[in-house]
Amino acid sequence: MSENAVYIVSALRTPVGKAPRGSLRHTRPDDLLAHVIRGVLDACPTLDPALVDDVVVGCAMPEGSQGLNVARVGALLAGLPDRVPGYTVNRFCASGLQAVALAADRIRLGESEVMIAAGTESMSQVPMMGHRPQFNPSLFHDEGQVGIAYGMGLTAEKVAVRWGVSREDQDAFALQSHARAVAAMDAGHFRQEILPVTVRHAAPDPQGNCIAVQERRVDTDEGPRPDTSAEALARLKPVFSAGGSVTPGNSSQMSDGAGAVLLVSERQVKALGLEPLSRFAGYAVAGVPAEIMGIGPVEAVPMALRRAGLGVQDLDWIELNEAFAAQSLAVMRELDLDPARVNPLGGAIALGHPLGATGAIRTATLTHGLRRTGGRYGMVTMCVGTGMGAAGIFERM
Amino acid sequence: MSSVMMHQAALGAPFRPAPTFIRRAAVLGAGVMGAQIAAHLVNAGIPVVLFELPAAGGDPNAHARRAIQGLGKMQPAPLADPADGAHIRPANYDNGLSALSECDFIIEAIAERMDLKRELYGRIIPFLSEDALLASNTSGLSINALADVLPKSLRRRFCGVHFFNPPRYMHLVELIPGRETDPEVLDALETFLVGGLGKGVIRARDTPNFIANRIGVFSLVATIHHAEAMGLGADVVDALTGPAIGRPKSATFRTADVVGLDTLAHVVEGSARLLRTDPWQPFLRLPEWVGGLIGQRALGQKTGAGVYRRQGKLLQVFDPSRGGYREARQVMDEAVREILSLKDPGERLDALRSSEHPQARFLWSIQRDVFHYAACWLAEIADSARDVDLAMRWGFGWTSGPFETWQAAGWERVAGWIREDIQAGRSLTDTPLPAWVDAVTEVHRSETSWDARGEDFVTRSPLPVYRRQLFPDRVLGEIPSRARYVTLDTGAVRLWHLQEDVGILSFLTPQHAVGAAVLEGVLQAVTEAEQRYQSLVLWHPGELFCVGADLKQVLAALERKDYGSLEDMLARFQEATLRLRHASIPVVGAVRGLALGGGCEFLMHCDHVVAAMESYIGLVEAGVGLIPGGGGCKELARRAAQSSPDGDLFPFIRSAFETVALAKVSRSAREARQMGLLRPSDTVVLNPHELLHVAHVQARALAESGYRPPLPVPVPVIGKAGLANLQAQLVNMHEGGFISSHDLAIARHAAAALCGGEVESGSSVSEEWLLQLERTSFMALLRTDQTQQRIAHMLKTGKPLRN
Repeated sequence: MSENAVYIVSALRTPVGKAPRGSLRHTRPDDLLAHVIRGVLDACPTLDPALVDDVVVGCAMPEGSQGLNVARVGALLAGLPDRVPGYTVNRFCASGLQAVALAADRIRLGESEVMIAAGTESMSQVPMMGHRPQFNPSLFHDEGQVGIAYGMGLTAEKVAVRWGVSREDQDAFALQSHARAVAAMDAGHFRQEILPVTVRHAAPDPQGNCIAVQERRVDTDEGPRPDTSAEALARLKPVFSAGGSVTPGNSSQMSDGAGAVLLVSERQVKALGLEPLSRFAGYAVAGVPAEIMGIGPVEAVPMALRRAGLGVQDLDWIELNEAFAAQSLAVMRELDLDPARVNPLGGAIALGHPLGATGAIRTATLTHGLRRTGGRYGMVTMCVGTGMGAAGIFERM
Repeated sequence: MSSVMMHQAALGAPFRPAPTFIRRAAVLGAGVMGAQIAAHLVNAGIPVVLFELPAAGGDPNAHARRAIQGLGKMQPAPLADPADGAHIRPANYDNGLSALSECDFIIEAIAERMDLKRELYGRIIPFLSEDALLASNTSGLSINALADVLPKSLRRRFCGVHFFNPPRYMHLVELIPGRETDPEVLDALETFLVGGLGKGVIRARDTPNFIANRIGVFSLVATIHHAEAMGLGADVVDALTGPAIGRPKSATFRTADVVGLDTLAHVVEGSARLLRTDPWQPFLRLPEWVGGLIGQRALGQKTGAGVYRRQGKLLQVFDPSRGGYREARQVMDEAVREILSLKDPGERLDALRSSEHPQARFLWSIQRDVFHYAACWLAEIADSARDVDLAMRWGFGWTSGPFETWQAAGWERVAGWIREDIQAGRSLTDTPLPAWVDAVTEVHRSETSWDARGEDFVTRSPLPVYRRQLFPDRVLGEIPSRARYVTLDTGAVRLWHLQEDVGILSFLTPQHAVGAAVLEGVLQAVTEAEQRYQSLVLWHPGELFCVGADLKQVLAALERKDYGSLEDMLARFQEATLRLRHASIPVVGAVRGLALGGGCEFLMHCDHVVAAMESYIGLVEAGVGLIPGGGGCKELARRAAQSSPDGDLFPFIRSAFETVALAKVSRSAREARQMGLLRPSDTVVLNPHELLHVAHVQARALAESGYRPPLPVPVPVIGKAGLANLQAQLVNMHEGGFISSHDLAIARHAAAALCGGEVESGSSVSEEWLLQLERTSFMALLRTDQTQQRIAHMLKTGKPLRN
């Protein structure tokens, strides 16, 4: 059985806000999600929203304001007809990319023709690990599984030690991430992918007894710091290990944001006269020991490339989620990735990492980036908590 | 009327200032003192408007706002609860003065310049409400000169209030009336400062530097003068002038570094200017080398170097003879140490003055000059010798004021020695001692103290607020006016009363440490109290509540490997704390200062606690490798259940776990409440001297409300779900190298005790189950080498061992 081709015809994201005190902190993640769903549909006016077969949404902590099957809630809030279903998928930091892969698979299989894949996360409203995490007591009885309880930063320390990534290299990588992000913002490279958000904040009016609603348009990422420096980064203290090397400065930022892509079969591209932006070319996910979760892409990337029939050298643009500089550098060295092609617009250390949304957000960045630069193949990859790696391959159209 | 009956009258109708007397206050000047005074007003529950000069740019209140934000970073913390900074409103003089009309009390604390202060008064006068009180927190300017620019009606409501730095922690406030200050205003203000802010008020006259700084600055320059004359280095001076003679640990030069050499120079120069007619005026100067340090911006702590500096781990001291720093040694000669160890104060002083040793002669000289100076100026600066002594204790941290020290050594004998030195030209000036020195044989008597101006012995202030202080700080020779009746004295504890219905239980051991005899005593005393009293108060005299278990007894048993007796003692400990909880009469704990380990556990088992704001409470057993075993973990588990109405016990348990595992100690009673060591319903009082009075009131209120001991109820616990979550935190800290393997073991035991063991989440357990968990963990830890090393180390060094 030959598989059906899957095309991305629209890919957008919100600006990424800082959590827990950034400008999106009061904006619900289901509202952010509805906003990007509406955005990708609006970008294809010939496509009747009723044609959407399903909405797949990644979310890493699907509870609280992003619980209750946020995919279905977001779809309905976006104004999709009742008949369009939705489901939420959780593969922690790869949730958004997993959503893209699952949506693509339905089309590849021939059982769907129009799918929305998205990711949303408000780390301001639902903290890392959720509101009430409950670890399984047996993790601590069986020493072999205690790594599941390790904080992400501690796993990064383990990777730094095992792969010999120095503090200096980590800080230099972090500095470069900010520099690239700031340069990209200045050059307007994110303009095509960002769908500005109007945030509303309701509070009692100090003068009277009414509620004052303040509105503000947010159209840029909040994470990149033009003012950071090697000295400032070097001054930060390691927080996950006494005498370690992983600091808040060389780790990803906590963030709020959402992203969505509209995936369509070849038949519908032609029928509706849509312009494909890229083609979905393959996906893989693989497990590694939980205590070195950051190394996950080393397992997943070769699998994904093999499935796409490509080699590392074929990749013109790699979106490698910078959970930590330590694991990013270890992965790049292990896979022999060209630093110039990895995160040319900066990564999560500067741009932020809204967990389950990141896969969809960076798919939008890659899609528009390849078209702008004329590159052909690109990849979105990330490490995943509890020890996994995920990688998705895309081809520019 | 008998003294007991007077008591009852006093306790029955205590003075209560009108609650609305000071509803809102303003502080003018957001410098170090102004901002901290504002913070302390907020500690007392009074909202404050804090004024500073307007700032350029968008926010004219930026200067004041920054000062308020800065309060959160200062150490020691000016705010008892950092969140209270929100009750200080920033303002500026250009467009915020209308806010003054809402303020009942305005404290001016701007730069010490007469012209600036007077100009500011001119600006604020139109905005003050008709009965607002205005006070200047000046440390040296004349109150009458400041009052001159005020309209007559305001002069009645104006005076000086001189806070000492840091105002939250230093007990002294000098209250300085102007010529026209209304006596009723002064009484009301004193009542507020004492009862509302918890301060120790001394009324001072409008003389330069008032009382404490007058004596304190002189003492400092005299010390420096004699040190130079005898060729003693700053490090030696500090070894001699600290706790060795009843002065604070920072002694002379380290205090100077903390204050700032520039500030100190300013104060000394200012004093020299103001005290032109003072015979000792020529000595009011600092040596040239101090000026040199100031010139090099070596100003003390704030610039990282001053008289002392730290080079890595090495402490260095400035040596004027080399013009540079050398290693600080802090040596007191053995011969001098021997003299200072003499028990009799008279013999001690005599030995110092008779010695040929320069260190000994130095110590005699500096004390002699302070006696000489204080005696010569007593009539002019203070209402009584008691006021001078208390001012030096409360404002400078001396354990004994100059007149007390003098009198303790024999009034007439010391007077003779001073006179001898004056005649021999050994004293700083030849000013004769005033005649009254010979007219008296003591300055402090059982109920009165010498007033040199009135030439009579005077009693303490009759202000009603002082009736709330059942045991005020007393000067030497003063005897308690309270009649005490002792019911039981076991040698380790005493059961007594001031009033027939309320028993008081006090520990008699050093630092009120809890050993076997205290536990037996508590059990015996509670039984006795149930027979004799309607209620019981747990209160100890002195500045600390209890340092916890007597580790010496524990270590002695460990050395014998006598675990059986330790286990018995632990069971007895639990029995004693439970006895308080289940006594048939209400038990009220009254705490000030440290309440650590077992001390905290006793408090946690009282029906109600009255805590001084300055209460430092903690379950610190982890520091010696243990977990709380006297019911502390059990109490926290119970409180978790009580304070988690939605059934999610974890937030409380997580915080309780951090309290226990990190051996946290509260930095105020307010923080102890947040930590769950005090309950929201427990009472916090600002003035520690009012503790016993308030405890009586609370104990009686409980007894009068038909008190019955609490019935045993099952405690829902978080069980293994909570335990697993705490384990997750611990493996991260251990893997990250933040805690040792033994820390991990202790914390796991603490987690198990707080969570109720590995039972299903939401299980209900009995108190006995929780106590059993505590005992099992406690004994398991006690048997480890590392815990035994920690206990031995703590006893030897007073510091926790990390192993």
